[in-house]
Amino acid sequence: MRMKSALAAAAVVALAAACGSGGSGGSGGEAAKPGEPVKLNFLSLAWQKESLAANKQLVEEWNKANPGIQVTYVQGSWDNVNDQLVTQFAGGTAPDVIHNDSPALSGFAADGYLLDLSDKLPAELKSDIPQQSWDTVTFDDGKGKQGVYGVPFLQESQVIIANKKLLDAAGVRLPTTEQPWTWDEFSAAAKKMTKDGTFGVAWPMKSPVNKTLNLALNFGGTFFQTAEGKTTVKVGPEEKQVLQRIHDQLYKDKSADPAALGQGTADPLPAFYKGKFAMLPAGVYLRQQVAEQAPDGFEWVTLPPLKGTTTQQGAVSQTLSIAQDSKHPDEAMKFISFFLNGPNQAKLAKGDWLLPTSVKAAADPSITTKENGWDVATASAKALVVAPFLKVNGFDEWKSKVATPVLQEYYANKITIDEAAKRLVEDGNQVLERYQR
Amino acid sequence: MTATVTKPPAPPARHVRRARRSRRSREMWLLMLPALVPVVLFSVGPLLYGIGLAFTDARNTRAHETTFVGLDNFVQLMGDDDFWSSFRIGVVWSVSVTVLQFLAALGLALLLNQNLRFRGVARVLAVVPWAMPPVVIGLMWKLVYHPDAGILNSLLGTDINWLADFSLALPAIIVVGVWTGMPQTAVVLLAGLQGIPRELYEAVEVDGAGRWRRFWNITLPQLKPVIVAITSLDFVWNFNQFGLVYVLTQGGPGGRTRLPMLFAYEEAFRYRYAGYASMLGLAMAIVVLAVLGLYLWRQMREAR
Amino acid sequence: MKGREMRAGAMNRGRTGGLRRAPQYLALAAYVVFLAFPLVWLLSTALKTPQEMAQADPTWIPREPTLANFADAFDEQDLVGAATRSLVVALFASVITVVIALPAAYAMARYRSLVNRIAIGWVLVSQVFPFILIIIPLFLILRDMELVNTLPGLVIVHVTFTLPFALWMLQGYVRAVPPELEEAAAVDGAGRLRSITGVVAPLLAPGVVATLLFAFISSWNEFLFALVVLQDPDVMTLPLTLARFVGPEGVARLGPLAAASLMATIPSLIFFAIIQRRLKSGLMAGAVKG
Repeated sequence: MRMKSALAAAAVVALAAACGSGGSGGSGGEAAKPGEPVKLNFLSLAWQKESLAANKQLVEEWNKANPGIQVTYVQGSWDNVNDQLVTQFAGGTAPDVIHNDSPALSGFAADGYLLDLSDKLPAELKSDIPQQSWDTVTFDDGKGKQGVYGVPFLQESQVIIANKKLLDAAGVRLPTTEQPWTWDEFSAAAKKMTKDGTFGVAWPMKSPVNKTLNLALNFGGTFFQTAEGKTTVKVGPEEKQVLQRIHDQLYKDKSADPAALGQGTADPLPAFYKGKFAMLPAGVYLRQQVAEQAPDGFEWVTLPPLKGTTTQQGAVSQTLSIAQDSKHPDEAMKFISFFLNGPNQAKLAKGDWLLPTSVKAAADPSITTKENGWDVATASAKALVVAPFLKVNGFDEWKSKVATPVLQEYYANKITIDEAAKRLVEDGNQVLERYQR
Repeated sequence: MTATVTKPPAPPARHVRRARRSRRSREMWLLMLPALVPVVLFSVGPLLYGIGLAFTDARNTRAHETTFVGLDNFVQLMGDDDFWSSFRIGVVWSVSVTVLQFLAALGLALLLNQNLRFRGVARVLAVVPWAMPPVVIGLMWKLVYHPDAGILNSLLGTDINWLADFSLALPAIIVVGVWTGMPQTAVVLLAGLQGIPRELYEAVEVDGAGRWRRFWNITLPQLKPVIVAITSLDFVWNFNQFGLVYVLTQGGPGGRTRLPMLFAYEEAFRYRYAGYASMLGLAMAIVVLAVLGLYLWRQMREAR
Repeated sequence: MKGREMRAGAMNRGRTGGLRRAPQYLALAAYVVFLAFPLVWLLSTALKTPQEMAQADPTWIPREPTLANFADAFDEQDLVGAATRSLVVALFASVITVVIALPAAYAMARYRSLVNRIAIGWVLVSQVFPFILIIIPLFLILRDMELVNTLPGLVIVHVTFTLPFALWMLQGYVRAVPPELEEAAAVDGAGRLRSITGVVAPLLAPGVVATLLFAFISSWNEFLFALVVLQDPDVMTLPLTLARFVGPEGVARLGPLAAASLMATIPSLIFFAIIQRRLKSGLMAGAVKG
């Protein structure tokens, strides 16, 4: 009997502990006693060799110069940072300074887990980063107020990595940043390069949504529209342009390698080095892998982004944010402004083979050289605008439940473009409905 | 005989039985206690909490007031087409992986139980899939199935895009599922085989029973409790699996490999609808338990 | 007719033993190749240069073997420290699990009462309800007990979550031991405890070893809980460290990852090599043939 009641009591205690959660008492770094240094945890997602080194070096530099604010470098990973943060936010034990990307921020901002930085940003940092980049981190706080929930620092644009030999042999006009290829020229070039078992282009579309949506802006395709405070999905002629053109390359021109279709961005690289296809549309960061892996004697170039009616692309940026529960937000802000100043951003961008948001960093000679296509890549940042989908509440669910399967089926030629459009809109609006109650 | 005389008069039979029963029950509690403590402290609470969430509109966010909504989530779930289609995929996946895993593992366990040379080495090598860090397993199988540089295509001389093919993707991941879970099942079965008392075989050896008959009449019945235990657990685990598949296909192509647990995960961690996710988990748990209950009940009844 | 054939078969076995075993060796070899090929792949990948790794026609033997991947992996990450911590956690978790599960499993199998039926039901429910849905409440309990960011906290979680499996399997093994054996021993005059240690224990040894192995490997490879519970760099376990070689969208630094994974796989294999002999129980040695 006694044992039973003891067990029951234990169960009650456990239950009470579980239910009485409510996120009381954050512990992101203990409160500093006078005379002791403030301690900050910095969750970083850097993973490439060079960028890891750059990150560690900057933290070390900071710790040496600021004995009063000591930063602990904690390495996380992109694959599961979301799970980690959702749980740690719920427990109030998240790191003080958090590295993530802008699509993830909108959710956490609306959840109330991130600090609004609007009136904490030092003027120098604020003016060094152009407004269009700040737009990628400005979100609704879930109650209708707009706030800045991170400092954007690395951006990605879509360029084309090409096999120089095959490109030269095709005898097409080489595009430049000033005079980029139009989509028509691109399609024609791909067709020309398709012969003797070689394809002109490869579209790795395992995760087709972000890539398609970012490129759709070339023709003004936004995929979402907001009227009277209600957001709905829109697939009109502008949105269909890029969809149709990629589909044509696959099934009409047959200039795109069908094997690549189901692959992740980096997966077709072995076939690329072997010359199975000539061009690979990819994020600028992929240049790192090509530079590291390409066999000796393999020549490759970076081609600037394509032009539809404009060269605009949707931008996604990597960010540093501060947890709402952080005990030392001001110190954290100081660290961020050091970490993301011009010269440091140049180092970070170089380490990750991405584009800095800082105007000062973008002028750094190390990332404007001709080598490894840096000049083309860095110049492409000018065409980046905030991707409309970033601001859509429920985009994540639309992407995973509706858009991913629909686009996969469309690119695999299982459904027509009209069916695809219909499902994107109808099923999509049903999903969005859930977020607008 | 004299001893019985000096014994105190026997208490009424009822008392004896009760006393024995209470002694046995004390014994049982004592044996169970060490295992009960962690379960009660760290498993009961969270589980009841999770089940409770299923009847609320809880969200994994700070800016939300949770209210009790009764069976709303359940009603919504019943009308969720995406859920039903992934549920079907989940059934195909978990049944086929469990069955294939069991058959393959039984074969392996029987072989490893033979007095063969290199048996020790083979045993160690057979657990490689289990010992490998999960993070690298998905990456490796992606390379095996790689359409251009993959081992499988070069082995078969084919040119198939396994993981992106609408009809081959599910079978392809089922193979990976069988591969990952096989060692564990085999080790468990092997341990069971070793526990079969030798006398039983000696008895029929005299009859000159053939291998097949010995397997059928002794090995299998003797192994049954272990088989029942491991297959039911395998089934549950397979039903709850999604991480490995997610790495390989992310539920694609076109949702063909979207396992139901991926749904629960995305609801809770991506869209933060904790209440709905819990209902999803609860509904699936009930279905799995019903299937399992039926299976176990039949097995237990046969055993008696 | 049938009986004669079988007897003939039994006689044949003695004479043509070697030949008869050939198919068995073949089958075993097929199994081993299917299950263990990744070991070769890991080794070969770990020794390759980035250039060679990206070749469309991969080779098993690296043309220009390099140790750079090992150097990178060990330079960048505290693999030795992480492995040591993982080893401590896995040893504690697996031993504790088996020590507390064994008596309970015995009780579950041998005593029939409402309580143990509830216990069996519980074991299943706790496995059936998706783990990911209880991770947050469990995390909150750990936080309130100040076990977050500690290795004992992780050990407790691992014990809690391998316990159902351990109970479930062990009670299966106990059931497989005929109660008559135990009773016979008791009749022989051995005490109850003696009958358990003397008769049941040796028969259970293989099951205990299998369970121990399961608990060890589960803990050694466990990722999700370690991810949310451990936050300081100096308490991180091996699976967390390995995940750092993987970037977004499944792009990974295969070379260092393979090198580190090799180092992570080998301890489990060694552990298994040491205890696999115990998969053969003392009493049963050589008993089960054919």
